[in-house]
Amino acid sequence: MTDFVIETHQLCKSFRDQPALRGLDLQVSAGSIFGFLGRNGAGKTTTIKTLLGLLRADSGSAHVFGVPVTDADSAAGVRSRIGFVTEDKELYPYMTVEQIIRFTRPFFPNWRRDLEQRYLEMFELPKARKIPDLSKGMRSKLMLLLAIARGAELLILDEPTDGLDPAATEDVLRELVSITGSSGITIFFSSHQLSEVELIADHVGIVDQGRMVVSGCLDDMKARYQRVHVVLESGAGPPLRWPEGAESIRQEGRVVSMLCSHNADAIVEQAQSIPGATVERFPVTLKEIFLEHVRSN
Amino acid sequence: MLWLKGWLETRFRLLFMLAFTALPLYNMHSAGTHASARSVSGLADGLASNVIPLFTVMICAFLAGAGIATQAPFRTSKGLHGSTLFTLSMPVSRLRLLAVRAGIGWLETAAVIGVLCCGMWLAIPLLMGVVTPIQMFEQVGTLIACSSTIYFLSVLLGTVLDDQWRLWGTILASAGIWFLCTHFSLPAFADIAHGIGERSPIVAHTIPWNVMVFSLGLSAILFFAALKIAQRREY
Repeated sequence: MTDFVIETHQLCKSFRDQPALRGLDLQVSAGSIFGFLGRNGAGKTTTIKTLLGLLRADSGSAHVFGVPVTDADSAAGVRSRIGFVTEDKELYPYMTVEQIIRFTRPFFPNWRRDLEQRYLEMFELPKARKIPDLSKGMRSKLMLLLAIARGAELLILDEPTDGLDPAATEDVLRELVSITGSSGITIFFSSHQLSEVELIADHVGIVDQGRMVVSGCLDDMKARYQRVHVVLESGAGPPLRWPEGAESIRQEGRVVSMLCSHNADAIVEQAQSIPGATVERFPVTLKEIFLEHVRSN
Repeated sequence: MLWLKGWLETRFRLLFMLAFTALPLYNMHSAGTHASARSVSGLADGLASNVIPLFTVMICAFLAGAGIATQAPFRTSKGLHGSTLFTLSMPVSRLRLLAVRAGIGWLETAAVIGVLCCGMWLAIPLLMGVVTPIQMFEQVGTLIACSSTIYFLSVLLGTVLDDQWRLWGTILASAGIWFLCTHFSLPAFADIAHGIGERSPIVAHTIPWNVMVFSLGLSAILFFAALKIAQRREY
């Protein structure tokens, strides 16, 4: 029995010979908030659609709640346990807010009326307003309501805060953390806003060119990654070879800057062995880790 | 709830088609004012052979749905509406999605065909003496059954084409069916064009059961093909 709510193994998907996923390995633990990061076209939305059964993988496997997702109909049972927010936040243009809530409710036996009311009030959604008359931010909030009130065990959110103002973004992020804490929901979300991911995610995965380039617990990752600055004495040169883990090494004048993906202690030790060198180490942000991986790839 | 969604997507199209039937009915009324009790029978034959089939095809083409994709209420849409992904994220099989959408359109098509046929009585009151209620009921049933091939052909096209191309595709395919039926000696049971027109109960005074059964069978095959495509299609 697996503890992973989402698990993919060597997932591959191409569109007209253009590979979108090239052997993606992904594991999302139950109860976690997993931030799924990547540049445009890295394969995030393709992965999400494959998990929902909207796309069929060319090879490899995808399991959600331990159930293999192979096509649209095999994933129908899985979808009853998932809340989904689409990237473009499009909903039926001929319905009002109230109508789309009434439309969605019967498909989900665990529908949470308490959450429906709570988010209607919190997001100040006008029940009688037609969906095309809502701003993009309002539509994002409505989609979040429809996803969360399903009583889902897993929320898959594709750019959930896209279009929201900073205050609404703050509200939404706080709510996501709150529902994970109170009801043990797993959240798998993609975002370009690295600061948001850093704020709420406990696990992150960075995908680039259809492959997972780094994945794991965010705290562990930030503890493992460090930036090291070495200020060399005039005339001294850096060592020809740094220990393993020293990446993205740049030298400007007497200052050598590097990002350590691991093995930071050994790297610092070597730097300190350079006569006259001053060594400083700094914590890194998720943005630095992200940029390091997508640039080097 | 899928029925509600389908109804909200199609209600304006249905209203439009109901209003559209006023056009042939007005023309029938104009023609009917000059008809005598003796000539009204020939007029009824002419309408059932030529006018009604043409409008039946248009009704089918307009009211058949866009497969499982979201359809804009007023106009034919180009490209996939983003809310289709919302529909597909529901825990519903594609069979159910397609069956409900096709079912609503078919009921609406049947209703408009019924209004068009029965409206002939109002447009030409003399027709009441020529076409009995039973004959009219048979006429409506025949048209619904025989035109279902065109309707489900449109449903099939809707699973692979944008809505606007589905509409034109259906009209083109219908013209192809008419060409086949009128220029080649097809078996009588496969002559759908004449089943809707010259072999319909008002004209031929018999029910073309064989054409109706053939058309309904073909419709089932077309729906099955549409389902297979919808199940395989990626979004």
